[in-house]
Amino acid sequence: MPVFEVFQQAREGKAFEHGGNVVAPDADMAILYAREFYGRRQEARRIWVVPRECIVEINDPDLLHPPAVDRSYRTVGGYSVRDTLRATRGAVAGSAQPD
Amino acid sequence: MVATVDTIVEDPARVEEFVKHVQSGGKVESGDWMPEEYRKQVLRFVEMHANSELMGVLPEREWINKAPTLKRKLALTAKVQDEVGHAELLYRVAEDLGKTREAMLQDLLDGKTKFHNVFHYPTYSWADVAIIAWLVDAAAIQSQKALLDSSYAPYARTMQKICWEESFHIKHGYDMVVTMMNGTQQQKDMIQEALNRWWVPLVHFHGPPTLAEKDRDLYYRIKAKPNFVLRQEFFSKYIPKILELGLTIPDPELRFDTEANEWRYSDPDWNELKLVVTGHGPKTEDRLNLRRMAYADTQWVRDVVLGRAA
Amino acid sequence: MIDATNTDTRALQTLLTALADDEFILGYRNSEWTGIAPMLEEDVAFSSMSQDEIGHARIMYQMLSELTGVSADRIAYARRPEEYLNCQLVEHRRLDWAHAIARYFLYDTADHVRVEALTRSQYAPLANAMQKIVREEKYHLMHGDIWIKRLAHFSPESRERLIAALESLWPDALGMFEPLPGEEALVASGVLEAPMSELQAEWLEQIAPYFEILDLPFPAKKDERTGRYVPTVEPVYGGRQGKHTAELAELWDEMTSVYRLDPEAVW
Repeated sequence: MPVFEVFQQAREGKAFEHGGNVVAPDADMAILYAREFYGRRQEARRIWVVPRECIVEINDPDLLHPPAVDRSYRTVGGYSVRDTLRATRGAVAGSAQPD
Repeated sequence: MVATVDTIVEDPARVEEFVKHVQSGGKVESGDWMPEEYRKQVLRFVEMHANSELMGVLPEREWINKAPTLKRKLALTAKVQDEVGHAELLYRVAEDLGKTREAMLQDLLDGKTKFHNVFHYPTYSWADVAIIAWLVDAAAIQSQKALLDSSYAPYARTMQKICWEESFHIKHGYDMVVTMMNGTQQQKDMIQEALNRWWVPLVHFHGPPTLAEKDRDLYYRIKAKPNFVLRQEFFSKYIPKILELGLTIPDPELRFDTEANEWRYSDPDWNELKLVVTGHGPKTEDRLNLRRMAYADTQWVRDVVLGRAA
Repeated sequence: MIDATNTDTRALQTLLTALADDEFILGYRNSEWTGIAPMLEEDVAFSSMSQDEIGHARIMYQMLSELTGVSADRIAYARRPEEYLNCQLVEHRRLDWAHAIARYFLYDTADHVRVEALTRSQYAPLANAMQKIVREEKYHLMHGDIWIKRLAHFSPESRERLIAALESLWPDALGMFEPLPGEEALVASGVLEAPMSELQAEWLEQIAPYFEILDLPFPAKKDERTGRYVPTVEPVYGGRQGKHTAELAELWDEMTSVYRLDPEAVW
């Protein structure tokens, strides 16, 4: 029997999270059982039920975490303004004229 | 995401890398390469767990009918329902490792695979229901917590779901025991009598003291703690709670050794445990028979669902 | 709106008791599939529906408790079998899966008509309760729909089993609409918007097309004069008067066995 993966949205507006899966002969029964196993405790506002065969996985670390090139230019952590800012503030304070 | 089963001859370097990976906290998904021994070990472990959840339903189901209040009836129904649900979740995990649910159910019914000792024993009164819901569940949760970080990620995730869902089970069980211990003399006697019968199975629950070095489930980090640690944790948590209700634990040797920092207890008969889990418990045959009959009677329904012509 | 002081409380109590007992006893029977349903998934589904039913029974026992001062648990457990007012449909012991599905289908579709009508009851607590209950029934109707179709279409064997089960249950299903003692007063005050016989006609009207599409035997005919469906089988009455089969006595014995150890004890 086909496997259906089940995604739950816990609260309105939140991301859908993978909760697990069910087996069922067709979509109708998959819905019935997804509700039982992933919704009967009122733990989801919405549920997506997706045939496993529709899911394509990417897991190659060379694609997802390529090691060679420094990509810190795309991250917040790749920028450190502290020292430069201190120097700039110092210069501004030094050249300030009293009124 | 079908589990790949490697050929018998495995590259030792690859196996070593795998072992290093899991032993340092690394995770494995259902479609990943894994040594055959690992796959078999996880499958066996999860299959026994699934069997236990399913067989655990049978001691309790007749008491759903007899529950003496509306709230108890609802709570017990929900608890048992969760257990069936957990069996389903666990069989699903095991199935993705290469054994069909049908084959697993058939092996269970044929007595070829095991399930936890506690579910081989009879229940005689409503007090049994209370003791099981409290202490058997507590012992189980102790084990389950040690699986939350299992190297086999689908199992770890299922355990997280199971632990969350079971949070009310112990509370409900404890509520029943405390209520009865605060009730009539007849009720108190019933609870003490039930505890007298369930104590040894509870001591057996976490399994015989296997040497940690020989435990393959520990080796592959399928589980995180050895049996004897789980038992000690269970004792430390629950013995004080049992005693404060005015109950007596039927083991005159039981005491906490402060020097060794562990609980000392009468060595239970480990042969009894072996006999029970290999299918010779007092209620083993009865319960398997009930399931066998029900399974056979409903084969036509499964054929309808699976689309198999009669 | 009606409150408890200006309605015929005896008739109201009869209605509430009948509704509660139907759900309570059906919930009991459905929970008997626990651990032994054909598939684990159905085990869990039946258990959910059983909890819904017992939950609904509890709501109505609590309403009765407010009217009589007797606790809901006592009302549920302390009566003798001849004081239960459930229809006989729900008390029959668990048989095979086709029987379970057929019974569920007949009960849920009939109950739906009843519940829906009661959402408009002039007795506010009942109307409020039914407005919540009618929403919980969606799942039951969805489940029943999926299974009836599967059994009707899958194979000659499954079809035969379904037809046999339905045939054996129709007379009891009609018993759900047995006239309630005192129902004229309830209709007059608007607690019940129509007599049971009319609700039955509405039910048959609603499910007739379904049976036609599924090509299943339908034991009712449209009366040419009135345009309403009339059953062509004899109903089994008695439940609403406390007359039951030996199966209820058996059920009662088990259900109340722990309770009767000490009715004063707190469990």
